[in-house]
Amino acid sequence: MGPTADALLALRSEVSPDGHCVDLEPAANGKPVVEGLADDNEGSGALRNACLLQVVAALLFIPQAGLLAVAVGNIVAGANWRGVVWLALGLVVIGALRAGLDAAGMRLAFLKARKALSELRERAITALAQRSPLDVTRPASGLAASVITEQAEAILPYLARFRPTRLKATLIPLAILASIFPFSWLAAFVLLLAAPLIPLFMALIGWGAKAASEKQLIEMGSMNGFLLDRLRGMTTIRAFDAVDMTARRLRADAQSLQLRTMAVLRIAFLSSAVLELFAALGVAMVAVYIGFHYLGQLPFGAWGGRLGLSEGLFILLLAPAFFEPLRELSAVWHDRAAGEAALAALQQLADNGVALLGTNDVAGSLVDESKGVSVKVEALSFSHAGNDAEVLHNIDLEAKPGERVAILGPSGSGKSTLLALVAGLSPHARGRITVADHVLSESTAQQLRARMIWIGQKPHIFAGSLFDNISLGRPEVKTNRTRAALALASLEHVAEAHGNRQIGEGGSGLSGGEILRLALARAAAGTHKDLVLADEPTTHLDTATAQEITEGLFEIARGKTLIVATHDPVLAARMDRIVVLSPRSAREAA
Amino acid sequence: MGILRAFRPIVAIFYTERRFMLIAGALLAAVTVLAGIALLGLSGWFITATAVAGLSSMTALAFDVFAPAASIRFLALLRTASRYGERLATHDATLGVLAGLREQLFRSWSRPQSARLLIQRPSRLLFRLTADIDALDSLYLRVLVPAGVAIVTAFAVTVTLGLMHPLLGLVAGFWLVAAGLGIPLLAARFASAPSRRRAHALEALRSRTIDLVAGQTDLVMTGRLAAQKLAVASAERRAAAADDQLNWVEVFASAGFGFASAILLGGTMLALAALSDGGAISGPVAALGVLVALAALEPFAALRRGAVELGRTVLAARRIAPGLAVTCPALPGAVPRDGLALRLAHVSVTHDGAPLPCLRDLSMNVEHGERVALIGPSGAGKSTLLALIAQELTPVSGQIETLRAALLTQKTELFQDTLRDNLRLAAPKADDNELGHALRQAGLDTLVASLPLGLGTRLGEGGLGLSGGQARRLALARLFLRNSPLWLLDEPTEGLDGTTARDVLQRLGASLQGHAVVIATHIRREAELADRIIILDHGRIVAVLRRGEKEFATALSALRPD
Repeated sequence: MGPTADALLALRSEVSPDGHCVDLEPAANGKPVVEGLADDNEGSGALRNACLLQVVAALLFIPQAGLLAVAVGNIVAGANWRGVVWLALGLVVIGALRAGLDAAGMRLAFLKARKALSELRERAITALAQRSPLDVTRPASGLAASVITEQAEAILPYLARFRPTRLKATLIPLAILASIFPFSWLAAFVLLLAAPLIPLFMALIGWGAKAASEKQLIEMGSMNGFLLDRLRGMTTIRAFDAVDMTARRLRADAQSLQLRTMAVLRIAFLSSAVLELFAALGVAMVAVYIGFHYLGQLPFGAWGGRLGLSEGLFILLLAPAFFEPLRELSAVWHDRAAGEAALAALQQLADNGVALLGTNDVAGSLVDESKGVSVKVEALSFSHAGNDAEVLHNIDLEAKPGERVAILGPSGSGKSTLLALVAGLSPHARGRITVADHVLSESTAQQLRARMIWIGQKPHIFAGSLFDNISLGRPEVKTNRTRAALALASLEHVAEAHGNRQIGEGGSGLSGGEILRLALARAAAGTHKDLVLADEPTTHLDTATAQEITEGLFEIARGKTLIVATHDPVLAARMDRIVVLSPRSAREAA
Repeated sequence: MGILRAFRPIVAIFYTERRFMLIAGALLAAVTVLAGIALLGLSGWFITATAVAGLSSMTALAFDVFAPAASIRFLALLRTASRYGERLATHDATLGVLAGLREQLFRSWSRPQSARLLIQRPSRLLFRLTADIDALDSLYLRVLVPAGVAIVTAFAVTVTLGLMHPLLGLVAGFWLVAAGLGIPLLAARFASAPSRRRAHALEALRSRTIDLVAGQTDLVMTGRLAAQKLAVASAERRAAAADDQLNWVEVFASAGFGFASAILLGGTMLALAALSDGGAISGPVAALGVLVALAALEPFAALRRGAVELGRTVLAARRIAPGLAVTCPALPGAVPRDGLALRLAHVSVTHDGAPLPCLRDLSMNVEHGERVALIGPSGAGKSTLLALIAQELTPVSGQIETLRAALLTQKTELFQDTLRDNLRLAAPKADDNELGHALRQAGLDTLVASLPLGLGTRLGEGGLGLSGGQARRLALARLFLRNSPLWLLDEPTEGLDGTTARDVLQRLGASLQGHAVVIATHIRREAELADRIIILDHGRIVAVLRRGEKEFATALSALRPD
């Protein structure tokens, strides 16, 4: 995320009424997510240590200020410069110690936060991998990718920076007040008075700008959206000679957005100006008070006595340090909003939902390979989670080893769902599926799938070359096997045309027929397969290509059991048997 | 200096867009920092001076409190005001640059070859583009402004301490520049490789996550789900390793500033003590010097984040800048001789990086008002031929002469905009009457009339909110608005149900009068519009059939019925 977006997020937090800068409440919402994530005490202890180290580093400024004040007092008193050497050395040593402790704290906080980010990402990935494709609430790939990749990045600064800063903002001002108070109750009182006024003023100003700025933030985010939207349709824009018009429109929109945003920012930045003003005035008032105190015009405020020069300087040095953690906190405030939103989004991805059958890798073969694979579906019913309407009702189906069965039916009759259930892509509530005499279940699904070939109607094109897309990195698929599969699917000319280049994302650059041929090649490359499940392989294809795909499919299925879901009568007619699936029932036709 | 070269076009945009605001923002930032240092320094001087004066009542009465006290209050207000002004100016500048950069980028991507790239890898490339734009944003706010402020601060501190003793000023100034700029430069250097690795790792994480989720079924069925999970995890590990290195750089830079600051403070203190001891400066002046030294390195620390991100910013500049430098010349296409709408002579087209051409030595003519259907197995080159005629592609050899063509793309391309502006893309000057007429022709008038906002209704991303058939009709209405002599239609009714498709085709047929049309298709109902069928295979024309010939009917009947 760039600083513009940062600034706008900062703006949102600055102007929100709860966006005050002194959050003395250490328990923020969203905390349980992280705490629950790393239940190991060692882990959360590491974050506490990191915070404490940074707090101690910040506290070291108090003795540093003391040394500095004493040194200047000595210089003014006309001390020999050699008398200051030890004080200067002390300053350097404490300064170095401060730098070292702060660095160690930053490092620890980072390590802890980065580990949490990795764990959260891994959890989301694991959940997504197990989520059944038939689960309608399964997040889309684009959303999942942007949450896991970009949005999740906000967690790192939130955990690594925001929390230590918040702890500092809570403890340091108190410690500084406690250090000033013994010397001058009045100076402490001035600072104490200024501090709570800051959030009050910021909230007051914030309320006015909040509604407008949130709207603005959304529009701002749509700037990239607008550009991307137009880039996606570049062919059409060029075809209509509208490049110049669209470019001018892009600029005009951005400029009007700029005008409106600036109008909001003028008010919103007032809140940070207030913080700045109080910090500056706090220092100025302390300085002026001490000056007048020395001149005898304000003799009170120092417990009846009179402040020495070093004491006055000490108070003056601590005054800006009193406000510094508050300013730091306001600078990282938006990390909280973004971080908590990211935590929630990742958490949502990690929700389990409906899982695939058999997600654990089980090695070894379950089935006797010399026999073919039979499929038996008995009284199968299925409905999507959270929806009572049954997609399949009381379905029976049988395919003997080597048999070719077509499931014919209009769209919406549940053909594809039935195939997916046979492949164990989702658990089913009622009924029984038996593959090669083994009941399909959580414990058997993975091994039974090892003998199946799946040809879907929309095969996914992976990032990689044509060859990668056929082998899919399967160790058993060697180069010669890939070449043979390529030939079987008559994809050689595509391989020639594409070479080793990446295929366009989503298969652009490949025609619909070529994508299906790729699916065939992918299927043909597998070894030890006895059951072919094909889901509407010839939809949306021209007659000649459909014919070729059908031939390829039969070639792959030679000697294997084949079940095809289709509404193509030409394809169905070539099968041994047709099962007609009408909505909510299945009956034998031939 | 490769870095400077990469940034030059970007900085040029910054400069032409918002020169005044950019400079004003940097100046105000410098004023803010200087006022802060001066406030602390002057306060220290004031306290010390009053403490010295307050020792006797005589001097206490004679002490002029008014000027310093007023100056302190003035500096406090100045710092607040300049901070406010700085934030406004820098944000105004950034927003302005944002507008200019996006416009320039859009123009740079409107070249024919770029459009093809966009089509080939849309989301990854677009993701990279937005990530790059965001990374470039930080150039001004996190690099240019803090660097300017740091240099001004170094100068001011040098002068202030130099007035006390020239050598002290020079040494302190040298230390500030050496440490204050040296640490960020070193940090930028060490961060450059990991920040690029991080950007690449995140891209891999993104594309592998998409493959895992969208390709899940294929992965499960080939037993590769676990392997893909490992691949995602390995991208995350790479990102984590890069993050770790970047964090080390940041930690070292942060500690480096701490050490440098402590040494500057201790050194200045000793020097001022010696000067004061020798009577060269007064006690209050020494106090001022110490406090200035205390605050001097703080502005440099603001460079830390920009320095760590610099590698990413350079990467973004390198990827974006080359396109920005090139302006897009309008190519005046050759016009065919009278009576022809299109003439191709011995044209070959090869996709970038492909070893073999996808159109080979192809020649064809299309006459005014003629209707031609391109058919052939998928992958034969139909869409490539249309892209060539639309001048999306340039041939590697051969001649192309064409009247201005309007292309109806295979995938309906609509925009996140009002219906009116979606239509006016084709005819910027058209009024609502003309738009209404085109909508009637396309059979969309009743739908638009039923919408509460009518033509002012906004569509979602990519035309979201319309059904496939409605979107197609809208694209058709847009084509009708374009009075182009040559229409190129790429599978105009693919994906529509039979009834809708026939209605769309019927309306299209009714409007064809006076336009030459080339339709790429594999559906019978679409090819039936044509007077002539051209059959492509492997990038060559294998047959040309005219209506009335026996083969014409045979070719039609071989196409997909519906």
